[in-house]
Parts: sequence; C-alpha cells; structure tokens
Amino acid sequence: MMTPLEIKGATAAVIISVLTLVGTFTAGGIYRNRYATERQPGTKPLAAETLAVKGRSYFLQSCAHCHGRDADGGEDAPSLLKLQISGTHMALVIQSGIKGEMPSFTKKYNEQDVAALVAYLKTLH
Amino acid sequence: MIPWDKLHGAMTHFPIALLLFSTACDFVSVMLKKLPFARELRSVSLYALAVAALASVGAVISGIALSKGDLWGRGDFGWHHRFVWPAFGLLVALAVWRLVVREAMSRFGLCLYLCLMLLASGLVAAAGYFGGELLLSGGGVP
Repeated sequence: MMTPLEIKGATAAVIISVLTLVGTFTAGGIYRNRYATERQPGTKPLAAETLAVKGRSYFLQSCAHCHGRDADGGEDAPSLLKLQISGTHMALVIQSGIKGEMPSFTKKYNEQDVAALVAYLKTLH
Repeated sequence: MIPWDKLHGAMTHFPIALLLFSTACDFVSVMLKKLPFARELRSVSLYALAVAALASVGAVISGIALSKGDLWGRGDFGWHHRFVWPAFGLLVALAVWRLVVREAMSRFGLCLYLCLMLLASGLVAAAGYFGGELLLSGGGVP
C-alpha cells in the first residue's frame, strides 16, 4: 500500500489540482462575462434579428461566393447549414481562417461584425 | 493586441511534448532498471513533468483568452475541452505528487503513478489532436 509520505503527497496533489481547476473555471467565467459586457461599450446590444440581417449582408459580401448564397455549400467550400459548433468557435474560424482553405477575416471584420455573421449562421440551424 | 492564437499554438506544445517525454523516461527507467543512467532518467522525468505542469498553465491561460472564456463548446471545440480539463487537473496533481514524494515511491505508488501518467498522456494527446483538428480542418465545419 501507499506510504504516509505518498498519502500526504496525494492529498496535496488533489487539493492543488482541484484549486487550480476551480481557479481556472472562475477566471474563465469572469473573463467571459467581462468580454460580453465590454464587447459593445456604450451601446445597447443589437436585437438578434437585426444582428442576423446585418450578418446576412456580410455573408453575401464575403462568404457567399464560396459557401453559396444560401450557405448550402459550393464547389470548394462546405455547407454551413446546421453547424454543430458553438458561436465562439464560429467566430474563431471566421477570425483565424483555416490554413490553406479559408482566409482570415480578422482585418476585414471587427468583433461586432463577426458577432453579426455568427448570429446569421445560427439562424441556419 | 496580443496574438492569443499564435501564443496558444506555441505554448501548448511544451506540456504535450514534456509530458510524453516524462512518461517515456519513467517507463524506460522502470523497465531497464539495470541501465547505468536509470536513476538519472527518473530525475529527468521529474523535471520534465514539473516544467510540463508549469507550461500547461500558460497554455490554459492563452487558450481561455483565445476562446473568450468559453470553456466547453461543441464539436471538435467541445471535444478539445473534454480532454483538456481532466488532462490539466491530472497533470498538475501528478506533478505535485511527484515533487512531494520524489524517489521515495512504494511499489504500489509507482504502479499507480505510471498508470496515471499513461492516462494523462492519452488525455493530453487527445486534447492536442482535437486542438489540431480545430486549426487545420476548421473544427467540425461539415
């Protein structure tokens, strides 16, 4: 069986590990809330519908020529209907692009614009 | 503005590589006890594990910043997180335990430690795999 030193080590390990995870999740939650609050400083958040309409216009401008006007896919790009990923993940892909497949739109669209695109993509579920 | 995507990509490789390396060193030192440098291998594995645990904190912080605090998600993003959190917790726990116990391990303690190192390596490798999928394939975009 385990020696007293090993048991002491295991106790310390469990405590520190749990505290680290709790700290990480707390920090993540705080960051997420703060980010959501600061994303639109001084302005009221746009209604989801308005945002999606704005997103649709961005989509037609930058995405439709590859993904299709109805987002149902093109020759070289997949359908974006019923995406099974989170909004954050969608934003991440739009901003970072996909190596060798899709360009990054981080310079073209700011965070609000990306949020609008995400809102539009979510209406395609 | 801090390029969190690049920072996260750079930082995640340290815990992945060091943990796998530490596990390999431990197994080689146990299986080949008669090697003249078996003891040194155990020391190397201890320091590699400690640095892996420290580096994982940086990887996690940059990851949280990159995902804007989204700690779960769906698709590959969700799978990445399902493996990351247990791997992170286990990695920290193993490093703390190893730093406390050092060479004074019982046979049972060593067996348990090696099993958990294997589990942590698998979790970290799976988290890395889904992280790579996010980067290269767009993370589940059908």
